[in-house]
Amino acid sequence: MTLTMFTLNAFYGLALAMNMFIIASGLNLIFGVLRVINFAHGMFYMFGAYIVFTVAKTWGAPFFVGVLAAGAALAVIAFAIERLLLRHLYDKEHLMQLLFTFAIVLLMSDAAKMIWGTDQYSVGYPPGLGGAVNLGFVMLPQYQLFLCVVGPLIAVAMWFVVDRTRWGRVVRAATQDREMLAALGVNVPMVYAAVFTIGSALAGVGGALAAPRIALVPGMDATIINECFIIVIIGGLGNMWGSFLGALAFGFVVQFGTVLAPNWQDVLPYLLMLAVLIIRPWGLLGRPETGH
Amino acid sequence: MKYSAMLVAAGVLSAGTAFAQGAPIKIGVLYPLTGGGAVYGAPALVGHQMAIEELNAKGGIMGRKVESLERDDKLNPATASSTMKELITKDKVDIVLGGLASSVGLAMTEVSKQEKVVYISTIPKSIQITTDKLHKYVFRTSANTDQEGEAMAILAGKNKLAKICHLELDYAYGNDLEAGILKAMPKYAPDAKIVLTLKPKLGATDFNPFIPQVMAAGCDGVLSGLWGPHFVSWVKQAAPLGFFNKIKWISGGEVGSHEIAGELKGEYPDNVISNTYELWYKGNDPSHKEFQEKLAKKLNTQETPQWAALGYIGVMYAAAAMEKAKSTDPDKVAEALEGLSIGTPVGTLTIDAKTHQANIGQFWGPMVKKPDRAYRMMEPAEYIQPK
Repeated sequence: MTLTMFTLNAFYGLALAMNMFIIASGLNLIFGVLRVINFAHGMFYMFGAYIVFTVAKTWGAPFFVGVLAAGAALAVIAFAIERLLLRHLYDKEHLMQLLFTFAIVLLMSDAAKMIWGTDQYSVGYPPGLGGAVNLGFVMLPQYQLFLCVVGPLIAVAMWFVVDRTRWGRVVRAATQDREMLAALGVNVPMVYAAVFTIGSALAGVGGALAAPRIALVPGMDATIINECFIIVIIGGLGNMWGSFLGALAFGFVVQFGTVLAPNWQDVLPYLLMLAVLIIRPWGLLGRPETGH
Repeated sequence: MKYSAMLVAAGVLSAGTAFAQGAPIKIGVLYPLTGGGAVYGAPALVGHQMAIEELNAKGGIMGRKVESLERDDKLNPATASSTMKELITKDKVDIVLGGLASSVGLAMTEVSKQEKVVYISTIPKSIQITTDKLHKYVFRTSANTDQEGEAMAILAGKNKLAKICHLELDYAYGNDLEAGILKAMPKYAPDAKIVLTLKPKLGATDFNPFIPQVMAAGCDGVLSGLWGPHFVSWVKQAAPLGFFNKIKWISGGEVGSHEIAGELKGEYPDNVISNTYELWYKGNDPSHKEFQEKLAKKLNTQETPQWAALGYIGVMYAAAAMEKAKSTDPDKVAEALEGLSIGTPVGTLTIDAKTHQANIGQFWGPMVKKPDRAYRMMEPAEYIQPK
């Protein structure tokens, strides 16, 4: 592999990782606090992509307005789902919660069919990000460079909110002992609602940001949810920096693995997950479950 | 009293026979209607339904009403198998049409063999359906991977390609199309050399592991089987690098259809030569205009998708075969289909009695910009029909 190819592949791996991190971080946040495995996260991602299509392409608004609209719309949808339905299931067994989020997937997939039909859509790159930057020995696409900036920004923002603000302390406390937190006068149900809303909005933003580089088709939610789970599991369930690391591992393994061993492209992410789970069953940065 | 009772009895009897004559003919059909395949399955089903409506408006098949039983194959061979079996055993359909993915078409071919019910493959292209897996009850009204591969080899020769990069999706269709191309290359493009072959997986959305390899290989042309969303994702990821400036992209998989051109609009790249079964703006048969206008009215858009024609042709063949056989008996219908010629919106087609393959052609041509349109159009579009 020449230096040019190596640089390009490393860069693509990083860009893929950052796009995946934006999506997976939401799933991870929700699991970390609510202990709910949200199967509908992929569907939220797909809605984000479709919404940016409607806002930016059909209505002609600027792309980034579309991205914000996607985040906002998913926040509203998620808030409604949490307040009206999901909150009744926190004390139920995990299987019930799984079935519930799966039902959301089916409902939303039919809703998407009613709103957008079954056509294939495409969203253009935002102006100024549709070309490539020439570094002399290698050309790097601008939009992927942009994703490489946005990903870490979101990671730092999340770290700041969760680790450095009062609200973040409350959220962390909620993961430890929510009865005690409620006894201290914190409105725990609203903390849960907020976390579910923010996590889902991240899926919407992630989908919207992915939209310019892919074809939008029904069913695009299915692969992404698997990949998000792989990333979150590799990194350690509930750990934000774990997801960041997990996304990096995923991005590089998929990119380099597919180049070097194309016949293995289907199983590469799963092999990565297996390898991590054998060495550290609780993920790269996760902690062994001690039980409550 | 007695007389009137006899009349009533006679009435009941004749009603009974009328009912027997009027029992609807059941046509089962499978297309992917959810998930990624719905992009093409849904418009194919529209063409299918249009044909059924036309038949019923004309009094059905052999004077019997036609009932359409429509199912979702989810682009999944296992789902297609079980759904088709259910259609045959539970719903007692007289014939089964459809399928989209080659893998699904092969699964349906197998069920048709086991259950001895006629299956007309309306979209799946895998050559195996009409060669290795061919049996008495399976027929194909779409093109196949050998025809498509031959057309691509001819175009590679015509465009004087010397170094070719070959891209196929890693499943039945991609592998069979690759074989079709390789078979035809020595004859039509003897000077061309394939320097790189890459096979992304079916359903891939991220082509970044492949794009740099093609760019570094120094090909002057790409032969590609990336269809629909695969092509769109490739374009979006490769175009920023100037990929399409230097490379001629000769593609199967109908990326020359209006569905793709109309969606990508200004993002549709230069230097693409591809195929489509039908073009709303260009017919090769007088009946095309009427068909297209009807479809446009049904879909409420002038710019109609090509997949509808394939769904439509499948039904027309089923109807013509039953009329010819004067029966819905699978053995008789299968015999009737052998060598059967019918007029379709893309010209008169004949199903070969030996291979069970219809001689349907495809439009091939470069996708060019038009000053008065937001999307590209195929021009000149040449209709290539197998002999």
